[in-house]
Amino acid sequence: MGKDECKTMLDALNKVTACYRHLVIALGSTSDSQNLREELKRTRKKAQELAVANRTKLTSLLKDKTISKDDRAEYERLWVLFSSSMELLEVDMKRSLEIGQDFPLKVPTRHLIQTGMTGSTTTVAARAMSVQNMKYEADSNIDTADLRDLQSEISHVSQMMEEMEMKVQVAPWAVEAKQEAGAELKSNMSVGNSSVGVISICEEEPKDEEGGGNRDAGFASICAVLVFFVIVTVALVLGYLVINMS
Amino acid sequence: MTIRNTLRDHGQRYRPRMACIKKAEKVLLEMQDPKTGVKSQPQRLVITTIPHAITGEDIITWLADRFQVDTQEARTFGSMLVALGYIYPLQDHKRLVIKPDVSLYRFQTPYFWPTQQWPVEDTDYAIYLAKRNIRKKGILELHEQEHYNRLHKWMNHKWDFIVMQAKEQYRAAKERKKPDRVVFDCQERAYWVVHRPPPGTVSAMDYGLDRLIDPNADEAKTPDFYERMMIFTQQAIMRPRVKSSVSISALVKYCATYRSHDPFLSKCLPSNPWLTDDATYWTLNMPNVEIPTKMRVERWTFSFAELLSDPRGRDDFRLFLKKEFSGENLAFWEGCEDLKWGEAATMREKAEHIYKTFLARGAPRWINIDGKTMEITVKGLKHPHRYVLDPAQTHIYMLMKKDSYGRYQKSPVFKDTLKKAICPEEHQFSDAQLGQNAKKRWPSLSPIILQQMEQEQKAKMAANVDITQLCRFTTPVPHLAVYSGLNDFPTANASPSLAFLAHTPACPSPISVALESTSASERRAEASGGESEGDPAARAPVGGNVSKSRMALSLRRLLKRGCTPASMFASLSPKCHSATGTSSRIQPISPDQPSQAPPRRIGNFFQIKVDIPPECRIYPIESEDEDEQSRAASRGGVGAKEIICPWESLTPQNGTG
Repeated sequence: MGKDECKTMLDALNKVTACYRHLVIALGSTSDSQNLREELKRTRKKAQELAVANRTKLTSLLKDKTISKDDRAEYERLWVLFSSSMELLEVDMKRSLEIGQDFPLKVPTRHLIQTGMTGSTTTVAARAMSVQNMKYEADSNIDTADLRDLQSEISHVSQMMEEMEMKVQVAPWAVEAKQEAGAELKSNMSVGNSSVGVISICEEEPKDEEGGGNRDAGFASICAVLVFFVIVTVALVLGYLVINMS
Repeated sequence: MTIRNTLRDHGQRYRPRMACIKKAEKVLLEMQDPKTGVKSQPQRLVITTIPHAITGEDIITWLADRFQVDTQEARTFGSMLVALGYIYPLQDHKRLVIKPDVSLYRFQTPYFWPTQQWPVEDTDYAIYLAKRNIRKKGILELHEQEHYNRLHKWMNHKWDFIVMQAKEQYRAAKERKKPDRVVFDCQERAYWVVHRPPPGTVSAMDYGLDRLIDPNADEAKTPDFYERMMIFTQQAIMRPRVKSSVSISALVKYCATYRSHDPFLSKCLPSNPWLTDDATYWTLNMPNVEIPTKMRVERWTFSFAELLSDPRGRDDFRLFLKKEFSGENLAFWEGCEDLKWGEAATMREKAEHIYKTFLARGAPRWINIDGKTMEITVKGLKHPHRYVLDPAQTHIYMLMKKDSYGRYQKSPVFKDTLKKAICPEEHQFSDAQLGQNAKKRWPSLSPIILQQMEQEQKAKMAANVDITQLCRFTTPVPHLAVYSGLNDFPTANASPSLAFLAHTPACPSPISVALESTSASERRAEASGGESEGDPAARAPVGGNVSKSRMALSLRRLLKRGCTPASMFASLSPKCHSATGTSSRIQPISPDQPSQAPPRRIGNFFQIKVDIPPECRIYPIESEDEDEQSRAASRGGVGAKEIICPWESLTPQNGTG
């Protein structure tokens, strides 16, 4: 259905926006590198594709006059989500242009800010692109070439947002949020669900001790425990049968 | 489309006060140099080690070397860098200063540098708070909670997005390695300490109002630009010039007088709260403090304006005037200020109230202004606006300044205040104590509460000052006689009656007292004038006032012939209607009064007095006078006579003004 498609696409856009922000934050610091620039470029492209897809979908849905009021309210809510994502993306793109220009990579003495971040951002970019591993194949003058592309992309995005504003008449302040305050404390995987799950939280205050596992480890351990019990049950059943038979 | 940053986004965010930002960025880049920059060391946490931590003393020594300044200045500069957000402290993250010891700092990533092109968005702050909420499992600090609730209310339409984005950002952050995650959290937290400072933190990005135009930018040379230049130069030519000797001597005098009172140029006793975080200075100098400081009392002697602008000074002056029985001057001045600066909705009522209390004939707190000013004021009051009482106010201000102010400075009230004034000792805080003070900062009273307190005080003052003013009339004050003759009459009459009435056991409201007194005096006037007879009043014997008023009445008749402007005022008073009735030639403005009206009017007047009608008209000549009177007389209601303001519409139903 149109709504579910929209929601999945919006989720994807949301994820890419969040990852893009993380990447831009690393720009200009000691974790900056050629790879980062390339990651930025590819994330950006993906974000744009998603944005265009979302926009066409949502505009077509909203232009449809035959939808019910509830549906319309829901689409308006999705529209607000979409436009907020786009705003964040636009600002991040503009800032990445600025910082990229201020901190060129291919100069003899480069002064990257020693922020304490030294690791790479590969995993973040992989998450954004929804791939397992990132492959880097850009050439060495990515920073300058990329910036030109970036400028054109920024103008493209701004234009798109202006068009959106003009064509779609949605009053953003009239939209009511489905989440109440403190909703982030419950786990909520996507736009539409409201299932309450378990979220495991990492203690990351530098003063506190490091503790807590992370989500993947927990999941794996639960799986292992289940498998173990299954095997034990099977073994017991077999043993019982063997005893019976003998 | 959502509206981003509704507050101040005019598309041009120039705040030229922050020119230091570009310069600070250059310094930051220099500090990064591996050879000549600041030496960094790794920070050891429980399990991880994070590089690129710098100590406070290293930063200060580097700055002192680089700019060839002394340590204290380098320390201030370093604190500024921290307050702006370029360097953030790792311990004690809420206090944005540099400590010259081994406490650790780190550089902030360029995305989180303070800039002016990218305003700090509430959406981002909401996402940050949501992330923090997740991490802290719902336990946020008090100010963060308040912000969270406020943002939830005002950004409700975006809340879904905020929650989604917060979760995604949280998960994306977990993709990084542990040390990087720690650093990222510190960075973000430091960014928001600078841009949404917790109460008590002073961040340098709190720079006040935004300017729309960058004055250093080159302006395009359009015809409009040249036109503005032309207008500017033309006005400059026409401006009256002051001799430089005069203006410079004024400046020198000002500097010499105020030098010791300026907290930048001389010591601020006991200590400057912005530097030492000790608020004693503010508590000692509160607007309504009992015992002022010596410096404050000294300021009152500089000029009358200083005295009036300081609330404590004004209180002292008010006390002095009360003793001198001329408090109505200050009260009138304050009323005019209130009118000038108050809301437009209540302006009319305020103007009326001031007129009734201070300016009308027989008003309870009548002020002494000359006839011309009174005429202008009353005329203007027909169409009241904010500045209608300006001439009167200026007159009273100059009166107070030239006369009462000098006496005040020699009075025992002032001398007493000066003797009691305190001179606090200077604080000597050690560094440890300064740190303690910084931790103990708390926000002051909300301005809403302060405003409410002020209103209550004003109401209290308004309620209990008027009764005592009546005592003024026990001795006829000489300045009353300065007023033009005809107008002297009612007040001269009023004074003994008021004095008499002051002894009445029940203390009625001032206006009704005044009205009764005026009615009583009118009655007496009429009785003495012999134009009518009748039972003057059902009240206590009036005594020997009758003869006095008779004399005054004849005096009035003599004088009225000479004073044409006064005749206007003659017609203002209901008492004088009798006079104008008898000599109709002194009614220049309403020629259509019938000749037989006077006796009728007098008769009506008398009836009005007897019946104590609800209205009593005081207004400049209107032809509807007599009709009003007759209608009022025929009605004969009960209640005190009221002073009606000149500008009110003259319908019978509207009598109560």
